[in-house]
Amino acid sequence: MSSILTYIAISDGKIKRSSLEVLSRSKAIADANGLDCDAVIIDANASTFTDSVQQYGASKIYVVEDPIFIQHRNTPLLSALSKVMEQSKPNVVAFASTEGTKDILGALAANQNAGVVADVSSFDVTGNGVLAKRPVMAAKIMGNVEVSGDTVLVSVRSGSYDLVESPASAEIINIDFSIEESDLKAKLREIISATGDTIDLNEAESIVAAGRGVKDEEAKNLISELASVLNAGIGASRALTEAGVYDPSLQIGQTGKVVSPQLYIAVGISGAIQHVAGMANSKVIVAINKDGDAPIFEVADYGIVGDLYKVLPPFIEELKKIKG
Amino acid sequence: MKFYVCIKMVPDVAAPFQIKDGELIMDADRMVLNAYDASAVEEALVLKEQHGGEVEVVCIGAAKASETIRKALAMGADKGTHITTSGDEGFDSGSYAAILSAFFKDKEYDILSLGKQSQDTDSGLTGSMVAQMLDLPYATNAVGLEIEDGKLIVKRQGDSGQEMIGLPTPCAVTCSNDMNEPRIPNLKGIMASKRKPIDTVELSSLELSEDELSPASKVTSYEHKPARQAGKKFEGEADEVAREVAQLLDTEANVL
Repeated sequence: MSSILTYIAISDGKIKRSSLEVLSRSKAIADANGLDCDAVIIDANASTFTDSVQQYGASKIYVVEDPIFIQHRNTPLLSALSKVMEQSKPNVVAFASTEGTKDILGALAANQNAGVVADVSSFDVTGNGVLAKRPVMAAKIMGNVEVSGDTVLVSVRSGSYDLVESPASAEIINIDFSIEESDLKAKLREIISATGDTIDLNEAESIVAAGRGVKDEEAKNLISELASVLNAGIGASRALTEAGVYDPSLQIGQTGKVVSPQLYIAVGISGAIQHVAGMANSKVIVAINKDGDAPIFEVADYGIVGDLYKVLPPFIEELKKIKG
Repeated sequence: MKFYVCIKMVPDVAAPFQIKDGELIMDADRMVLNAYDASAVEEALVLKEQHGGEVEVVCIGAAKASETIRKALAMGADKGTHITTSGDEGFDSGSYAAILSAFFKDKEYDILSLGKQSQDTDSGLTGSMVAQMLDLPYATNAVGLEIEDGKLIVKRQGDSGQEMIGLPTPCAVTCSNDMNEPRIPNLKGIMASKRKPIDTVELSSLELSEDELSPASKVTSYEHKPARQAGKKFEGEADEVAREVAQLLDTEANVL
């Protein structure tokens, strides 16, 4: 039986929501094409996640459980995935496009002699591979890509598909796996935990961007707090980086970084065309600005007309409740 | 330390372009050194300045790609190798990785570095493919590099923060453009680059099979993205609208 295998990414002891979005998509493709929809969980506590994964329609769940997977390491992850692929012989392996996936996708394709397409915003299977759509040229346009091969790997941008529950009773297949820390050539020395300003804006799933309206320490603190609640990167308009309020590397816009996060919150940004060029491909844009006529509202999905000092504290408090 | 930095000539993503019948039409004169590769070159130069050694750049491409090699030499790289192709083979990441691994298999080096992705396609696959094909320990998405006791210490951006990874040499690393600000070549560097050697390697001399070179993926067409529409505007009592939008981000927009 032909199958589509979805890798369930676990990070900080939780299933990455984006990998369940991919599983939802895989299930739909499997149903439409008469394929088996399988999943693989690789984690120190992999077996604790099988119930959640069953809710999204996997018919077989491969479980690789070993303490080595408590942190992301490319060598053991590659060998575990290779082992599962050799056993399950999938036609397609689908991943959420996380940093962990990006770290191993090319190597896994080379190792398994598979076709591969990364960071797609939609995909489907064909008789001999995968068809996908992906943003190119700094996400200004879309490219349609055809990948052929007996096995094709595909990684999917988060937010590309909705979660669709489809409870099934899955067969759990435990895969024997062991690797010694001392056998690994690459040594993990230290994890420096995430803080808002170290998140790479090019890849951040959420971004909080500050503009001219962010004038003092109090406003900067509100920006940091909002970013921390959302685990978001902090960006800034050119006005603020030039004024030295934020580091130049945080500038978003035509001359700075071009970003396309799932969620972009523009705080006190008027929305000059140069700024919009750098963020218009964000999936959901929220604008908070005092001036109801500011051009940023023309691209915002949710526009809040109001003073950031009054809007941000309840906004942050409500987000904390939702996230908590 | 011997550094090899793999560099690529790519379109300037800021240059104007058109899509005609699904084809992307760009100004051929707006080709540049990939920004991520420029950061990889910069970092190798900094490490060479601190620890000594040699920085060699390797570029696959048509004749014009030698301009990109000159740019890296003007920045300060010691020499270059140009693996020449016709430029219209439609190579994908797998083809480039196969060519690079064939080139490197009998070379001696400590650190093989690459940009983490090409700025035009953003695939980010070639680096880890090359590492796998050469069986090298590797790290991707580096935001900082140091050399300590002959090991490469990589600070990389991962999913849940930054990770410090120690790699024995030889190893491979892919670089983010967030690690440094690549130097702009000065006149002296530009003059010196003209005297630096560029070796030319014919693709055919690497003896790759048709199967290894043929791309598994191809772009069949390009298209514009739909333009954005303005959404809902919320005016009113700040506390109320702020909480309402926060709830909508969770229940309607599904982005939390």
